[in-house]
Amino acid sequence: MNNSIQSYKASVLEQRSINNKNLQSWLLSAPSLFWLTLFFSIPYFIVVIYSLLVPGIYEVKFQFSLQAFREVLSGVYFKPFFLSFRLALFTTVICILLGYPVAYLIARSSEKWKNFLLVLIIIPFWTNFIIRIFSWRIFLSSGGVLNDVLLKLGLINSPLEIIRTDLAVIIVMVYVYLPYMILPLYSVIEKIDFTLLDAAMDLGANERKAFFKVTLPLTSEGLFAGSILVFIPALGAYIIPQLMGNQNSLYIGQVITYKIKNIPRNWPMASALSIVMLILIAAILLTAYSLYIRKVSRKRYEIRQNI
Amino acid sequence: MEEIRIENLTKSFDGFIAVNDVSLTIKSGELFSFLGPSGCGKTTLLRMIAGFEIPLSGKILLGKQDITQHPPYKRQVNTIFQNYSLFPHMTVYDNVAFALRIKKLPNTEIDSRVREMLQLVKMEDQSDKYPNTISGGQKQRVAIARALINRPQVLLLDEPLAALDLKLRQHMLIELMNIHDAVGITFIYVTHDQSEAMSISDRVAVMNHGSIIQSGPPDDIYERPASIFSAYFIGETNLVPCEVVSLEEDYVELKCDAGVGESFLIDSTFHFRPEIGQKLTLSLRPEKIAVSRTKPRTQDDINVVKGIIEDILYLGTHTQYIVKVGSLKFRVFSQHKRVYFDDKALDWEEPVWLFWHDTDSWLIDEDTPVGLEYSDVNVFERPFQMSRSVKRQHKSE
Repeated sequence: MNNSIQSYKASVLEQRSINNKNLQSWLLSAPSLFWLTLFFSIPYFIVVIYSLLVPGIYEVKFQFSLQAFREVLSGVYFKPFFLSFRLALFTTVICILLGYPVAYLIARSSEKWKNFLLVLIIIPFWTNFIIRIFSWRIFLSSGGVLNDVLLKLGLINSPLEIIRTDLAVIIVMVYVYLPYMILPLYSVIEKIDFTLLDAAMDLGANERKAFFKVTLPLTSEGLFAGSILVFIPALGAYIIPQLMGNQNSLYIGQVITYKIKNIPRNWPMASALSIVMLILIAAILLTAYSLYIRKVSRKRYEIRQNI
Repeated sequence: MEEIRIENLTKSFDGFIAVNDVSLTIKSGELFSFLGPSGCGKTTLLRMIAGFEIPLSGKILLGKQDITQHPPYKRQVNTIFQNYSLFPHMTVYDNVAFALRIKKLPNTEIDSRVREMLQLVKMEDQSDKYPNTISGGQKQRVAIARALINRPQVLLLDEPLAALDLKLRQHMLIELMNIHDAVGITFIYVTHDQSEAMSISDRVAVMNHGSIIQSGPPDDIYERPASIFSAYFIGETNLVPCEVVSLEEDYVELKCDAGVGESFLIDSTFHFRPEIGQKLTLSLRPEKIAVSRTKPRTQDDINVVKGIIEDILYLGTHTQYIVKVGSLKFRVFSQHKRVYFDDKALDWEEPVWLFWHDTDSWLIDEDTPVGLEYSDVNVFERPFQMSRSVKRQHKSE
């Protein structure tokens, strides 16, 4: 008798504590839920609505239409999509190739140097983004510093036309996004126990094999994080292609902007392009994530099983 | 199987000489230990044999081959690291298979050899686990399997048991000896733990300040220390400063100046020819001294001194007495067989007789250094606290 009363009491108390916990977690997440609803879900909902309407001269006509999506899917915008993907891919790859050695160097330097070098990576953020891009324009222009030096050294006979090419766009993209690659890489490389490399060499791996079999797999999380931080924003890049590129190769960010800027304004078209872009990015992210996670999560799962 | 020869090896870091002109030969199949306090250069020596450090001068020969300048991956030498350094992103199986995969051996051969190795270290049922899901002792076993799979000529062990608790350490020590017997290759073992080194090794090299102080079988170093450092570092000892009074055919008579005007004569066997008047140090192991409240029968080959018990530490297997003799303090270990000597336990402040056979002390050809005199050797940091509490208990009874 007594026993069953006690167990009933226990179950009531238990239930109460679970309820309390649920309430607590709702309260704790309320600010971020509010923020996300107000600034993400609602605006995106408006974008979705607009993509299904008919364009007017300045505004939209509230009339249902699938015209915008039909146009996007017809392949008219294949080139800007392609250019954007190519740009994002090149930027990411170059950022990895340049960022990895830098991150490695910083992670392996002494404590004193580490902080100094990290500050050097962060300092550019203190200057306005637009100003930095304009200084690149000046630096790369036909009468700019780079051409001056190359001409004086006699390495070229006439100024290089770098500015307003896809190359200029990539150079500045890499410049802007490099810190986003270096910082996550640095944080994972710094955690590596370097005696693992001794162990690999001891077991017959030369420096190259030790890197590919030990260092690289152990830093894959940082590589993945850095790639996402660079690839996704690079995909929607607008201001850098606008200032460094030319009008013959328009990137998707520019196309979307022109749809809204030029009159008659085409809000449904711009919205539809944004939505397709979002779906593509989500698809890429999910694929990459599941491919990557499949490898890592098996290990995580086992670790959890065994604890 | 090849022996390892080390010739005049020297290594320095930023002007600090870590290893100073070390030469020795390690026989094939031997279990050889480098023993010394931290910073004595033993790990640096090991890292040079492994190839992680290139010596400033000198040579390392494996058989007839000079491997001094070879990178680690070109030496038939494998290492067990202090914290195991297992690859965290690989399973136990993949860790062990690593060396063979680097060599690009056929999968069937890799599989059979990995299984064989895992069986040797009794880890065959853990092969799918990741290193951070297994215990310290198991990690140790995987590290052994991983290092042995390449069939090295020499296995280097860098303080392999330092991270384990006492019971496991004793267990793994026996396991290591069994593995050594099973594979039959040379093991070079680095440790600062003298009991580990003594129990496992065929030979031990005692190191200090980058040099080898003494090398030989463990019992030889323990019973016949060549220097104050090895007497002091290996086991526990009483160091007694003394002066040669007379030289006989087969023994030497010593006078020990105990400071405050008192002196006593002791006999000792010797391994070198001392001169009359020479200042020497006598090493007297605490377990070789007997203690009794009645004076023993006088015999030619027994040394007897009188003292007062200053402290008693009951340690289970034995009792440690600290006995004041003149201005010296002797440490004495006494087995609990007091029935042979006394029917009543010895008490604090009690006058007692210490005696030992003259072959049980060992003469060291060094003057007792000032810093090591009495205080350093005869005062012990840890047991001191214990002695206080024991004392109080004892008196209240």
